[in-house]
Amino acid sequence: MDNSSVSYLESRKLVKRWSGPIPALVNTFIILAFFYVTWWIFQDPRGLMRMYTPYVGYMVCRWLLILFIWVAYIFDFWPFKRSWLRNTHPLIKGTVLTLVSVAAMIILIKGFFIEILGNFGIAYFDPGRLEAMGITDFYSIEYAAEAIMMFAAIASWLSPSWVVACENAPWQKLDQPARGITIAVVTFFMSMIVYFLTMHSHMAILFYPWQKFTAICPPYWEKFANTVSGNFHIAWIMCCTVVVWLFETIWERYPFNLIKNNALRRTASFFGIIAIAVSLCFFLYYAQDLVWGETIRGTRRLMAPDWRWLHVGEMAIFWLVPSLYLTFYCNNWPTKFSRPVNVCIRTLLTAALAALVYIIYYKTSHLFLGTQKGFSHPQQFPMIPMIWLINIFLINIWFMDGWPGWKAVPKTAAELEEVKEEIVAHDVRWTPGLAKGLIVGLCAGVLLYVVIINALPWVGANFTIIN
Amino acid sequence: MSKDNKSISRRDFVKGAATGLVAGAFAGMGMYSYTSSAYGRLPKTERKMQDFGACRSVRVTNISETSWFNNAHLIGDIHEAGGLLVNQYTLNWAPFANGKGSAKGSYDEGIGSIKELLPHDLKKAWEIQKKLALHPDNPGGYSCLIEVESLDGSIHKYLLDTGWSYEWMEDSFKREGIDKMLEEQQIEALFISHEHWDHFWGLPVTVKYDNRIPLYIHDGFYEEGLRYIKDCGYKGDMTVVDKPITEIVPGMALLKFDVPIINRVFGETSLAFNIKDKGLVLISGCCHQGILKFADFAHANLKYDNDKFYGIYGGLHISPFEDWDPKYDDLVISLGQWGFERIGCNHCTGHLTAKKFIEAGYPVVRGTARFRSASKDYLGNGDKISFGC
Ligand SMILES: [Fe+2]
Ligand SMILES: [Fe+2]
Repeated sequence: MDNSSVSYLESRKLVKRWSGPIPALVNTFIILAFFYVTWWIFQDPRGLMRMYTPYVGYMVCRWLLILFIWVAYIFDFWPFKRSWLRNTHPLIKGTVLTLVSVAAMIILIKGFFIEILGNFGIAYFDPGRLEAMGITDFYSIEYAAEAIMMFAAIASWLSPSWVVACENAPWQKLDQPARGITIAVVTFFMSMIVYFLTMHSHMAILFYPWQKFTAICPPYWEKFANTVSGNFHIAWIMCCTVVVWLFETIWERYPFNLIKNNALRRTASFFGIIAIAVSLCFFLYYAQDLVWGETIRGTRRLMAPDWRWLHVGEMAIFWLVPSLYLTFYCNNWPTKFSRPVNVCIRTLLTAALAALVYIIYYKTSHLFLGTQKGFSHPQQFPMIPMIWLINIFLINIWFMDGWPGWKAVPKTAAELEEVKEEIVAHDVRWTPGLAKGLIVGLCAGVLLYVVIINALPWVGANFTIIN
Repeated sequence: MSKDNKSISRRDFVKGAATGLVAGAFAGMGMYSYTSSAYGRLPKTERKMQDFGACRSVRVTNISETSWFNNAHLIGDIHEAGGLLVNQYTLNWAPFANGKGSAKGSYDEGIGSIKELLPHDLKKAWEIQKKLALHPDNPGGYSCLIEVESLDGSIHKYLLDTGWSYEWMEDSFKREGIDKMLEEQQIEALFISHEHWDHFWGLPVTVKYDNRIPLYIHDGFYEEGLRYIKDCGYKGDMTVVDKPITEIVPGMALLKFDVPIINRVFGETSLAFNIKDKGLVLISGCCHQGILKFADFAHANLKYDNDKFYGIYGGLHISPFEDWDPKYDDLVISLGQWGFERIGCNHCTGHLTAKKFIEAGYPVVRGTARFRSASKDYLGNGDKISFGC
């Protein structure tokens, strides 16, 4: 098996340039510095370009994320050649690939959404049209950016899902760019459908009067979600995005990779991710109600159902940051136990770290991000800095092979076999011992959940993050 | 051999248990969290029912609700500066303009150009600032006079907010006779609801006529705001409100909300009244905390007659820039359930919101659209509303 038959990311192995924790420390430092410099240049409301208006910056960071996923995961770096990827200095590679992604993003946003869709299909995608109809220039741009951003939110779940859960099926045998184009087009199409089912009504009631002839108003989720806002969908869709990556990184596609039948495994992975995400979504919503009290429909901010749904997505993103960090920079620690145990430890560890990142973010971010203290500023989205940071992780690992702490070396033939092996795992087999353990574990898991929901009201009463 | 088997089955047990733990936790999350039984066990919040007395009536005179005259210019300036998170003192609006253009304003340079003139020569100060500022004719302001009739029949007068443009606010004060009331020290206090330009920057206009009027501000004021109070020549007794509830006179309390607000402002204070035999009246500047949060806080903490939400006056901060978001429809849909009998709204409530309230059949008190107020859908400049008389 040669290494051109697997994707570039699978064909390489990242090895540390220095022993011990030095690579992780060096990369962390550089990433944080790069984060802050680029934050200041592009996003910071006190900085140079001030895209954090907020929706413009929100749209940009989400679309960059999608483009990075497309470049690395869907197109496997096509049209760049393997030899170029292998032999180019990471700094040059990172710069070129990032700039290509940015250019593609601009073409897509400006060319497709604004010019084509906005001018020949749906007016609200084009700020110029909104302004011509009497909306202020600022809100024209914000509304259009919101719609375009929401599309990205959906694609950031579906695009990687097709690779991670569906294993590119049924097009896995196609060469690039045919495979990339096919999967991009298919997931784009699916995103479009999901967009219409979830966000179009949200956009339609943005305008007066409600655009009843073109969208379902009030939206069908009103009773269930206790709001007409599309934030309800942002909640579960963001959870899907996060769970796809948990599944790919800290879970190593366990446990669905135990299923031998291809079709079954892929279907189970795809829908399993959704089921886990929806569970997480409901829990995070309920957790807020336990801590802050039940919502009041129609109010704003912390007590509003629409904000709580949004915050579900935000909390999920807080989980993604430590998970990616653990995989990228800590070699997916721990790896010494059996896979189920590793996965379990990583899950608990990253969840705890997520809570820590959350607390640190809300305690300190107003001191350096140019934002304000408080949870529920209606124009502040912690997803913007978090996704911005994740984007930088991805540039570093996908486009720069972890430079400077790591470097890429081609995997050996034996290691490549392992990659293949990994699609179906054989390390866990059905035995009476496993069954017993599973039952005990399930009970313990439910118990853990019960303990958490009983502890949360106490946390709410006795613990303040923001004074 | 059996030892090996044991260790294998022990290892399998651990694998199963590790998998089960995560799966069980997610199963619990998915199957229980968003169900009615989960909500059935949420603790009911206990109402504190703090008794803050009662008054006979409250009358509000809208001195000015037109905070700015051209929405496109206002939001255009904010847009140009970088959006809704940019510090308001750097937007280069009067009176903190320095002539350097969008987002390059500074408190020091702005105040430096007019400090000597405050608070006596406001005309000249504003003229100087108009030459330096973006859209110098756009500022208006928000301010209202509140007259509280006690149970013994005595009247207490207060100002809520002091507007923005020195020019516009002087004219508005004169139109409603506020200048005289201030000079005669009839007005017992000035409450600044929050630090925003349109509620606070006109402070010298009040100070000009009464530089010792008791002043109440939220403890979230930034350094520039605190310096401005000094720089405009204020010499009185200032209360920095740091408690959730401050009783002012029987039946009147100042409620404090800690919320981050657009263009780097933190916190709002609003007024609650208990009107004898009627119920609760809520009066706000912008109500950035949200009207229902305001009502809910009062419900959870205060005791009021008939346990009834009676009236509202003020900006409700729904669509101040005639912008919209589906979540605002949540308010339009649900406000009716709260049972308010008189809704007097204006300013940052937004015309569209008022229109939707009226369409929903809510008891919105209509205005006369005089003195540059734009719509009869809500209470305009010079209009009055009374509660309980
Ligand atoms: Fe206001
Ligand atoms: Fe305001």
